[in-house]
Parts: sequence; C-alpha cells; structure tokens
Amino acid sequence: MRTRTTPPRTGPARAVLMLGAGAAALAGAVLLSLVAGGRPTPVPEVWGVLAGTADPYVTTVVESRVPRTVLGVLVGAALALAGTLMQGVTRNPLADPGLLGVNAGAAAAVVTATALFGPTSVAATVWWALPGALLAGLAAYAVGSRGGDAGLVRLVLAGAVVSAVLMAYVQAIALSMPDTFDSYRYWVVGSLAGRGFDVIGSVLPVVGAGLVLALLAMSGLNALALGEEAATATGANTAWTRSAGLVAGVLLAAGATAAAGPIAFVGLAVPHVVRALVGVDFRLQVPFALLVGPVLLLLADVAGRTVVRPTELMVGVVTAFIGAPVLLYAVRKMRTTS
Amino acid sequence: MNRTPTGPADAAPARRDPVLRLGRAVALPVHPRTLLWCALLLLAVLAVAVATLSLGRLGIAPGRIPAVVAGGGEGTEAFVYERLRGPRLAVALGTGAALGLAGALFQSVTRNPLGSPDVIGLGAGAGAGAACAALLLPGAVPVPLGALAGAVLAMAVVALATGTGLRHPGRLIVAGIGVAAMAQAFTQFVVSVMARDQAGVLSAYINGSLGARDWDHAATIWGAVLLAVPPLLYLAGPVAVNEMGDELSDALGASAARTRTLAIGLSVVLSAAAVAVAGPIAFVALTAPQISRRLTGAAGPHLALSAVTGALLLAAADLAVQQSPVGDGLPVGLFTMALGGAYLGHLLIREWRKGVL
Repeated sequence: MRTRTTPPRTGPARAVLMLGAGAAALAGAVLLSLVAGGRPTPVPEVWGVLAGTADPYVTTVVESRVPRTVLGVLVGAALALAGTLMQGVTRNPLADPGLLGVNAGAAAAVVTATALFGPTSVAATVWWALPGALLAGLAAYAVGSRGGDAGLVRLVLAGAVVSAVLMAYVQAIALSMPDTFDSYRYWVVGSLAGRGFDVIGSVLPVVGAGLVLALLAMSGLNALALGEEAATATGANTAWTRSAGLVAGVLLAAGATAAAGPIAFVGLAVPHVVRALVGVDFRLQVPFALLVGPVLLLLADVAGRTVVRPTELMVGVVTAFIGAPVLLYAVRKMRTTS
Repeated sequence: MNRTPTGPADAAPARRDPVLRLGRAVALPVHPRTLLWCALLLLAVLAVAVATLSLGRLGIAPGRIPAVVAGGGEGTEAFVYERLRGPRLAVALGTGAALGLAGALFQSVTRNPLGSPDVIGLGAGAGAGAACAALLLPGAVPVPLGALAGAVLAMAVVALATGTGLRHPGRLIVAGIGVAAMAQAFTQFVVSVMARDQAGVLSAYINGSLGARDWDHAATIWGAVLLAVPPLLYLAGPVAVNEMGDELSDALGASAARTRTLAIGLSVVLSAAAVAVAGPIAFVALTAPQISRRLTGAAGPHLALSAVTGALLLAAADLAVQQSPVGDGLPVGLFTMALGGAYLGHLLIREWRKGVL
C-alpha cells in the first residue's frame, strides 16, 4: 500500500469552492429527480407546484416524486459514507458495504422478518436489518481474516461468498412467497420506488446515529491511514477509531438497505471519486461523500426512470452498471499483494 | 492436496499404474481409483435419474421406466416422460457434464482452483448474451450464439481489467465479481424492457433454471458435449502436462500457450452452451473438478470424472428442487448458489492456509 507522509493539501479557499460546487450539483440532481419520470414535468410546472398554482394532476405527479427524492438523498449519503468509513478503517480501496456482504445480511434479515410477520411492519424492519448487517459483516471478516492478516483481496472474496449465499436465500424466500413479497420484488434488487415518509422516518434514527459516530471518528481515520504503528505513535486511539468507524458503517448500511434494498457499488465508487476530487484528508472526504453519494444515486434513479419508460429500472441495477467499472479500475491499479 | 508424485523419476515399479495396451501402438495408463469412482458416480447418476422420473405424484413406477424410455409408455406415463421430466433430466445431465468439463479445463490451465467460469463472470456474461439474443433479437441470433458472444466478451473484459491476463488469482476473481455485476445489471435491463414484470423470466436468466425444458434444449447441450469429445481427447494429454508449468510443458513439446488458448476456448464454448439451455447455473463448474480431484487423489485435469460429477451434482440439485418441500418451484440455480457458495467459502479458507492467494 502506498503510504504518504503528507496528504496533498487542498487549500481552504479551494475546499469551500468545491463544497459550493458539490452543493449546487446536489440541488441540480434533486431538481432533476422531481422533473424526470414516466410523465416528465418541466421545471416551470415544478415551480408551479411549489408555489401552489399548478393543476391537481401535476401536483400529484410531482408530490409522488418527493419521498423517493428524499429517500435517494438519505440512502445515497448513507451508503457513500459507509463506503468511505470502511475503506478508511480497513485501508482497503475495495471495501464496500455491498461487496463485504453487509447489505446482503441486512436484506436477509429483513426478508426473514417479513416472511415470519407479514409485510405490514415495513417501518420495524430496520431493527431486523441491524443485527443482520452486523452478523454478515462479522462473518465476512471472520472468513476473510482466517489464516493470517486480512489482505485486500481476501476480504472482498469472503464478502462475495457471504453475499452469494445470503442473496440466494433472499431470492428463494421472495420467489416462494410471491404474495407476501409482491412489493419487495423491486426492493430485492434495490429500488427507491414506492417508499413513503414512514419508511424514511423509521430509518432516520439509525442513519443519524451512524452519521454522528462517523463525524466523531473522522479525524482519527487520518491517523489510521498512516498505518497501525505510526498512528499509535502519534497518540491516536486506533482501537476506538476502528470500532467507531466500523459500527457507523454498519449502522449506515443497515439503515440504507432496510429502506431501499441492497444497493451495491455506491459505497465503492463514491470514495474513489471523492479521493480524486479532494485528496485523502478524511475531514474533506466525509462531507464530500455526503454530497457526491446522493448526486450519484439520484442521477442513477433518474436514468432508471428515463431509459425504459414507461416502466422503470431499479436503481440498484443502474448503480451496478456504472459502479462495477470502478471495481475493475481499482483492481487494475492494485499492486500485487501476495 | 497430497498429490502423489507421478514423475518418471520416482515411479517405482511397485506402484506404477496399470497400462491398457492395444497392439503396439496404443498404451493408455489406467488409474484404477479413477475408474472405480467413475463407475460409482455413474451408478449414483443412474439412481438420481430413476428417482427423478419416479418420485412424486406423477412419477413413473421404477419397473416401467425401461419400457417408457423405449417408447412404450401410454397416457400419463408418456406425457410425464416426453414433456415434463424426460427433457428436464436430459438437460440437467448434459448441462452438468458441460459445466464440469468447462470448470476442469479452466481450473487446470489457469492452475487456479478458483479460476472457474462461474467465479470469473463468464457465466453471467453468457446469461446476458443469451437474454439479449432471446429477448432483444428474437429469431435473428440463435440463443447459443448470443451466449457465446456474451461469454467471450465477459472473459475479454476480465482479462483486460486485471492487467495481468488470467494469471493472478486474486485479481481475476475480483474483476470477475465486477464483470458479473455489470452483466447481471444488463440482463435485468433487457428483461425489464422486453418482458416486463416477469419475475420467473428474470430469475431464469440471472440464476439459471431447468423448468420447462424440451427435447430441443437437450439436443443442443448434448450435441455440444459430444462435439467437444474429440478435442477433449486431443487436449487431455497436453493439459495434464501443462499442470507441471509452462517451461516444462514447452520442453516436452506441448506448447503451453497453445494448450491454454485451446483449453480456454473449449471451456468458453461448453459454458456458453450450458448457459444457453439452462441459464448461468452457479458453482457446478467450480465444485465438480474439485470433488473429482479429492476423490481420485491423482494428478491431471480429471476431465471424464469432472463431467460425471457435474452431471450428478446438477441432477441431484434439480431432484431436490423438484421433490423437497423447501425447493418447490424454485430455480435450481438458487439451490446451487447457496450450497456452492458455502463450498467456495471453505475452499477460500483452505487456499489461504496454504498461502496460495
């Protein structure tokens, strides 16, 4: 692994400028998410709805897009932050809650709960997603770290195994109980459609707790990036940073999965984009991940709603298609580790 | 792996394998344990086949099976054999054999127990190609050809993305995960455009299924397997030599590069044929050669035994899907994914202990 003693400096003026650009991009993505869809509503119509002067039909169309846009912002931010934390803690540029099996674990737990108690308790499923995500992450870590230190590739392979088994289980349950899982068919792949504010409200505490922990661990991650020994030598509490980062990552991934299904590759791709933009300082990486993640997810959702009109493509499909090349790029850049 | 040394230097007369001689020209080494396991597994395949045809409410009585297969069935029996279970069983056996062969070839020439077509994204690519041919261009492109194109494309992307070709096992697999994800996303795109809301169609192209197969499917896969036999006979020797390393292989007159190209080409064709009739069924190509290797303890690619093992695995998995209460109506690919995934985990831990990855 490349170790830099001094991260490249991004000056304060430049950082503020880029934060402004990121916020503008997010505002644009939100607007696009309200405009695009099966029945496009041009920007003036959206303004009309906001001003309360549009006709009821257009109002209904636009208002139906509000919850999924809010959900897209929340889920995109949560997944991007989870990926940033996991890549920081494991110092592994391939780490991603999707690839490490955390999302699949949350999905398996949610599906189990739904099969047992019926689909009425959508809001309560987040409390099932948490232990599922935690167990799957631990399983992947246990397999990946057997027989020596956990290498870059091992963790990904272990996560792929855990994901494969759990997703087979999820699909098997969903296919064999079609009535119970009618509304979950899209969720299994990862979708923002058909989720109301009640779902958003129920995952908000979990995601919020993850966010707070992430902000607390943020500066410690910079020390951790120097390596275990150097970080300890600087006086950093590596054990605390590591566990806080991982717990926050699991909380964020579990919340996002409970709300929108197991969406892969957002957590992988966003940190790579952010590092290319602002460098390796986690105090900048975290806020930028919170901006870039929602932009990516909203644009993917808009693309999914536009390319196959009048139906729509699940957002998880689009993120896989645009996120997987980032994995290929990361593999190509990887030094030989064995 | 406790592979017994079989080089000429330490082949003491007391433990030399028997040799089958036909005149003066042909002398084939015979490995008795391999033959024994082949026979045992073939018996197991037969047992699974009989069970597949005879269990359940519509089952054909075991005593009547020879008559029905010979064409003497009537009414329900004939319908069950000709339409429902006969073609399905034939496709399961042929697909399993093709996957076993493809995996054995690929793992042998990459010298990588994880270098299996289903792990490196080849199956998912073939599935995307098959979906494309069947749904986007119906009639214009035969489905097997679409699957082949998808498989070749997926393998090319994997080989380019690793930057080291197919050599480095870790990169190979991670790149395979990425390519498989893209291929599956593409399949989902095609299915949602062309076959809206048909969960069964989607699952067949993503996970692989043996439901509703007919004799045409069986003819396709068995044709591919039989066509592969002559090149396999030719390749068996060079591939076995190739396991000893490129330099030794070249020195012995079996050009390593040529062997590798031919073996990978054949493996791609066989997996594409399997995917064209049954979808990208996971982990049979990975596990069948591994099991064969453990059973015989001999060196070499174990082509024949891998084919038999693959056929047995898939037919048994399909039997479980058809007859067990939990498997009811599920695509067989989900079943193999769950079991094969657990096996892959075990395999990873073992390889790491040895320090291979």
